[in-house]
Amino acid sequence: MKTNTPSRVAEKRSDSTASPQPLVSCQNVTRQYTRGKKSVLRQRKATQTVTALDDVSLAIDRGEFVGIAGPSGSGKSTLLHLVAGLDTPTRGLLSIDGTDVTTLSAKQRTRLRLETIGIIFQHFYLLSALSARANVAIPLVERGWSKRKRRERATTLLTTVGLDDRITHKPSELSGGEQQRVAIARALATEPDLLIADEPTGELDTATGGSILDLFEELSTDHAVIMASHDERALARTDRVIRLQDGKLIADA
Amino acid sequence: MRSGRRFTAVIQLGIRRVLGRLTITASTRVLLSAAGVALAVMLMTTVSGVALGLATQGTVQSDDVDYWIVPDDNGKSTAALAVGGAQLGDVHSTAAQLQTDERIEFATPVQLRVVNLQNKATGTEEYVLAIGVIPQHESNSIAGLPLRGMTPGDPYYANGSYNGQWTGEAILSDAAAELLGVSRNDELTIRSGGTTRELQALNVSQADLSSGAGPIPVVVLHLSELQAVAGGTDADLADQILVSTDDARLKPHLEQLVPGTTVVSRSGVSSPDLSTSDLSLAVGLTAFVTAIVVGVLFVGTMMGLEVMADRNELAVLAAIGYSSRSRAVLVLTETVTVSLVGGIVGVGLGGLGMVLFNQFATQYFGVESVAAFSPFLLLYGVLVALLIGLIAAPYPILVSQRTSVSEVLG
Repeated sequence: MKTNTPSRVAEKRSDSTASPQPLVSCQNVTRQYTRGKKSVLRQRKATQTVTALDDVSLAIDRGEFVGIAGPSGSGKSTLLHLVAGLDTPTRGLLSIDGTDVTTLSAKQRTRLRLETIGIIFQHFYLLSALSARANVAIPLVERGWSKRKRRERATTLLTTVGLDDRITHKPSELSGGEQQRVAIARALATEPDLLIADEPTGELDTATGGSILDLFEELSTDHAVIMASHDERALARTDRVIRLQDGKLIADA
Repeated sequence: MRSGRRFTAVIQLGIRRVLGRLTITASTRVLLSAAGVALAVMLMTTVSGVALGLATQGTVQSDDVDYWIVPDDNGKSTAALAVGGAQLGDVHSTAAQLQTDERIEFATPVQLRVVNLQNKATGTEEYVLAIGVIPQHESNSIAGLPLRGMTPGDPYYANGSYNGQWTGEAILSDAAAELLGVSRNDELTIRSGGTTRELQALNVSQADLSSGAGPIPVVVLHLSELQAVAGGTDADLADQILVSTDDARLKPHLEQLVPGTTVVSRSGVSSPDLSTSDLSLAVGLTAFVTAIVVGVLFVGTMMGLEVMADRNELAVLAAIGYSSRSRAVLVLTETVTVSLVGGIVGVGLGGLGMVLFNQFATQYFGVESVAAFSPFLLLYGVLVALLIGLIAAPYPILVSQRTSVSEVLG
């Protein structure tokens, strides 16, 4: 298990001092959802406002491997979705790579995800009809890369994650660990600054999960990696753990 | 450049996903969508083949004929037409003029009349379709009947005097000969409008003409002799002029030569155009509309359900940065691809359906070739499938656009 010594974190942070601002910056971010809808016939509101994230402030620099911990319903997924640009805060400021996400349109946030953010899901979500290489190349299609370049890039990434012998395999022909590696390679395809992983080891056995975490550690030297997890052993591998409870940030160390 | 390449790649991605789901994951909904279109296109192709068959069966066709010169619908404006009827006038001289053109192998006016024909020996009489022509060579044929043995030219016409030698030469189709109990060299009597003349069966052959009720009984004779019996000597009338040529550029020349007429080629849509009945058009149109409605409802519903079931993958695409437009193009491509796959299968099955339909008609009704096959039906079926896909696509696209990434992946 890696120990998060202050010197190591400080060392990695100092590497990223070339950038004048943090890659991710949340200032007093709140996200509320409204449950229920106004009845059309009765003209009566039956709604309830739920605060999923409450006044959260944090900053994440390039080169950091940050864990997000908390029980179910604590706001982990909400925070990840906000940082990933999949959602926008109800209140507060959220900037990614210097861009204020709250002012962006849905189309602009989609573009931001394509260019700056790589997302890894617990359930992998690979396209079942495509090979491993084609899955990795999917983001590059949207970037308008030529077929030859897409294939070269996907092959390189699959080699990087140790799947050079699984390039033409379909997801159904891969193990859980291999599918997650393909998902990681897909997230890296566009060379994003920020990698976001939601329970990436949740469906993997300990050994396979450990190898995935090794990969994240390697990647965190060049990227900011944010990983949400329930697993304390996985969180122990990160540089810093942000703990949430009932939508509030209760610890950041 | 990048945008074009992006959409090309998204289209390729859509095709790969559909083919993958058809072959690898065997998605029931995708298979059902394709099957629905296949069924609709199959029925439409078969029915269109029947409509085409109905449309073409009334047309006199000859292997030697490449063009038909027929009167325009508003034929009163043409000098070539006889007054008061949609027929061509002065046809002997027109045909003679055409025959002087080296590019034309064979040109003959054709008059079609229903006449009463009687076997003189037995007294059996029947109404048959009489075709009056001017034979030129032994190798000429009309409606599949070889004109072998007929005196070349039209002796009785005698430059319009209609007092030349009466040949009485008649070539009968199998159907006519069977009805009348006539064989070669038997003597016949032809009657129409109170005029009666004598004929002799020169030959009996199989004709190409048939209707929905079976082969049409046909007798071919010299044009002037039919005109003398059935009328048309005053203005030298005929219904059309058949022109056989190898020169594809001759059509404008023919249109110029005989103004006020329509020149149609043997290929293409000329045959249906010559049909005098709207039944085939109605049948074809009904089949088209039915196929579109059934296909669109089927594909729209099934692909809508498929998109709902596939919302995880679509949400992932949105999450990793696929724009709404790219996802719309993807779903459009998938819907059209499914429809096209169904269309291709449907066209194949439609061809098989026509064969089976004809076999059924022959076996149980004694009718030959009710449905007619044309290569254009293949293209038509595929284009209809494409149209089904395009019309059905907005619904699955709408469903895909409503997918909430946060909710699906949450």
